Amino acid sequence: MIKLIHLYKQYGQNIAIDNIHLSVSPGEIFGFIGPNGAGKTTTIQIMAGLLAPTSGNVILSGISMNSDPVNAKRLVGYIPDRPYIYEKLTGIEYLRFIADFYQISHDDFTKKSSRLLKEFSLEDRQNELIEAYSHGMKQRLIMISALLHDPPIIIVDEPMVGLDPVAIKLVKNVFKQRSHEGTTIFLSTHTLSLAEQICDRVGIIHKGKLIATGSMEDLKSSAKSGTEDLEDIFFQLTLETKMESIP
Amino acid sequence: MTDIQSLIRPRFLALIRQRLSMKKKVGLFFFSGIGLMIWSVIFYVSYRVLTYFKNIESIGDYLSFKLLSMILLTLFSLLIFSAILTTLSKLFLSKDLGLVHGLPIPSENIFIARWIESTFDSSWMMILYTLPAFIAYGIVFKAPLLYIIFLLVALMPLAMIANGISSLIVMPVVVILPATRIRSLFVLFGLGVFVTLYIAFRVMQPERFVNPEGFASVILYLRTISMPSSPLLPSTWVFDTLKSSIHAKYSDAIFHSGLLWSFGMLLFCINTIVARFIYFNGYSKSQTAQSRIISGNNLFLYQIMSQVSGPVRAIFIKELKTFWRDQTQWTQLFLIGALIIIYLYNFSVLPFEKSPLNAVYVENLFSFLNIALAAFVLTAIGARFVFPSISHEGMAFWIIQSSPVSIRTYLWIKWLCYFLPLFLLSEILIIMTNFLLHVNMFMMVLSVLTIACIVPGVVALGIGLGAAYPDFKSENPTQTVTGFGGLMYMFCASAFFGSIVLLETYPVYLIFNAHFKRVFLKDIDAIMIVFCFSTCLIICLFVLFAPMFFGEHRLKRNVQARDEEDIDDDNDDDNEKASLSGIETETRRNILLSRVYKIKSGKANRYPAKNVFEEIQSCH
Repeated sequence: MIKLIHLYKQYGQNIAIDNIHLSVSPGEIFGFIGPNGAGKTTTIQIMAGLLAPTSGNVILSGISMNSDPVNAKRLVGYIPDRPYIYEKLTGIEYLRFIADFYQISHDDFTKKSSRLLKEFSLEDRQNELIEAYSHGMKQRLIMISALLHDPPIIIVDEPMVGLDPVAIKLVKNVFKQRSHEGTTIFLSTHTLSLAEQICDRVGIIHKGKLIATGSMEDLKSSAKSGTEDLEDIFFQLTLETKMESIP
Repeated sequence: MTDIQSLIRPRFLALIRQRLSMKKKVGLFFFSGIGLMIWSVIFYVSYRVLTYFKNIESIGDYLSFKLLSMILLTLFSLLIFSAILTTLSKLFLSKDLGLVHGLPIPSENIFIARWIESTFDSSWMMILYTLPAFIAYGIVFKAPLLYIIFLLVALMPLAMIANGISSLIVMPVVVILPATRIRSLFVLFGLGVFVTLYIAFRVMQPERFVNPEGFASVILYLRTISMPSSPLLPSTWVFDTLKSSIHAKYSDAIFHSGLLWSFGMLLFCINTIVARFIYFNGYSKSQTAQSRIISGNNLFLYQIMSQVSGPVRAIFIKELKTFWRDQTQWTQLFLIGALIIIYLYNFSVLPFEKSPLNAVYVENLFSFLNIALAAFVLTAIGARFVFPSISHEGMAFWIIQSSPVSIRTYLWIKWLCYFLPLFLLSEILIIMTNFLLHVNMFMMVLSVLTIACIVPGVVALGIGLGAAYPDFKSENPTQTVTGFGGLMYMFCASAFFGSIVLLETYPVYLIFNAHFKRVFLKDIDAIMIVFCFSTCLIICLFVLFAPMFFGEHRLKRNVQARDEEDIDDDNDDDNEKASLSGIETETRRNILLSRVYKIKSGKANRYPAKNVFEEIQSCH
């Protein structure tokens, strides 16, 4: 469903992503973890079509983001880490704006938007200008807009930033449910516990390189004895990589 | 007092400590050059006009001083308008106010610090660009050197008074009207500006002074132009200060500037007392209950656009709604409205019947020149609304980037959004002015068609150059037009419509000549006419497509380069760290390495401090 083919991104002299090559199967939740500045957001932005790679390609359900970005984007629901949206629109107007890009019919929109607004507890605030929304409400609205066209692929950058515990639980459930229905979810996160709880597979990125991938069991078995949780594995792997670089 | 200094200090530090890259230095140099050029032009024009007036016997001095009085009255009105917007923003809408009000500082001290800032911000540019006119007065009237001192002594309190009046208006209005009505507030201010401009214009009646015959007698004319403005207006006090200092009547000049300073200080004191009681209340009100319920079920726009493709409908409705709900656009709309009304008014009072030339000829000549004038109004509107429209997307531009629409399609949809209203406006303008001019059918058709060909190009220049030079991080995208891209837009658009009008001059002359002489056009003339109009059409098509293509490519590149800039900034910080002294760096590196070896050998906590490795690398 998602294929990252030798992805490489360079900014001037800095290599942001160094030959990332991986694939994510349909219905899988893939967690992308790594320290600050490791290249998570750059990878996600390339996958969502916001940035062009220096070399390599992203294939989404057989469609290349390089050669056919418009059709590739139709398959994606993208949720960024910072909720910048048009503040002068109301919640429902924003959703209608997004729906128009994905050619969702009026009846379909009415049905889906009311269901999602209810699910994400924004039903009462849908006619208010977005400028009056809190950070968490904006984040929830973006999630609704990403799910509105039932995308087969969801790409999420730091999904839990600014959400309250109730919303965090809701988002986890939504992701799990969508994954059961066949949606592929690629999420980057700092919250290791989240990755541990909902991801089928995890990839650890460090200094632009994918230093480990696999299921939680794979990673635990490859790590040194005594490591039980993802946090230990994460620190061990990133530490080893850093130590190798020191004489 | 220390509080106020501390609050103003970050502003100065930001100015002093800003790092200028080579690109920014070049930009600064370029814009300083342009600023100096404009300043010199204002000085030159003022000097020439005043020299001309001075040479008119008997009434020269009266005319010059009447002009000075008008300049000062206009300056004072503009200072008040500018101060209203600046104080509203500085006192109630700035994003850092939350932080400042959280500090243990009395609210009147916050008010004073902000008031000082807004006095400076709202006036420096206007004072800077009216100075050359005042200096020209000094030179033409051979004023003593002390005139310059009195000039500065008089203009500073004028800015204070304008800001004092503005904050006395703004503070109670914000307290009375809830923040949810802030839009109404802007509309009110916009209307105020419009009415002020209109009244100021009508009160001055500038057309009378160049037409002494319009007065019943010479005495009445002289009395009118020598009549002083109201003695209650601060602009009159500045006028009296300047006039007295020009004539070296220093005691009078000191008296009038004393009036200005004492009134300025009085207003400052009144403002501080008022602020003590109501400023924090107003600020608090402006921060709460910002939510506005808007009927989301109003599907009128969606229904009338139901047959239009989804992305076009989405962007069109979004643009329309955000435009009407963005209060900052309202004042601009009123200003544009005032500009258009004054523009139409001027046409209605043109004295064609008094012209020694053939009235039909003059009316058609004016109609032809009117094409350029209408195109200039269109360009000015484009600079305010079309050029910043891409930057208006702000940090939400990711929505467009991640949506299934190419940048090219997006730009063309934007073009369409602005083309339709501007096309209608330009055509209405040109047809109305043509009716006021009583032009013949040929000129009517020519001007309507020419404007129809110019509008797509001007809109394309606005969208294309706006996309090529966007500023997604700007808090006020409308100001992007004052940058390099905006300047390019104004220059290219003026060159574009200027070249079209110039190219049409010759064929229009040939056609009119044939019409008045009642002869047929020669073959060579017909070929020239076809050649000129075809060239116009080619230029229009080129200007329609080339900027859009340029904008698309630059926008794609800019979006990619945005992250690169952030990374470069980080590198700059690293370079600063690396500039520690050699011994210090070496010691730091050894300490860090010994910690890593301890970890490697299992003698220490296995998790080193965050960024320890980056620090080691920076010590190299």
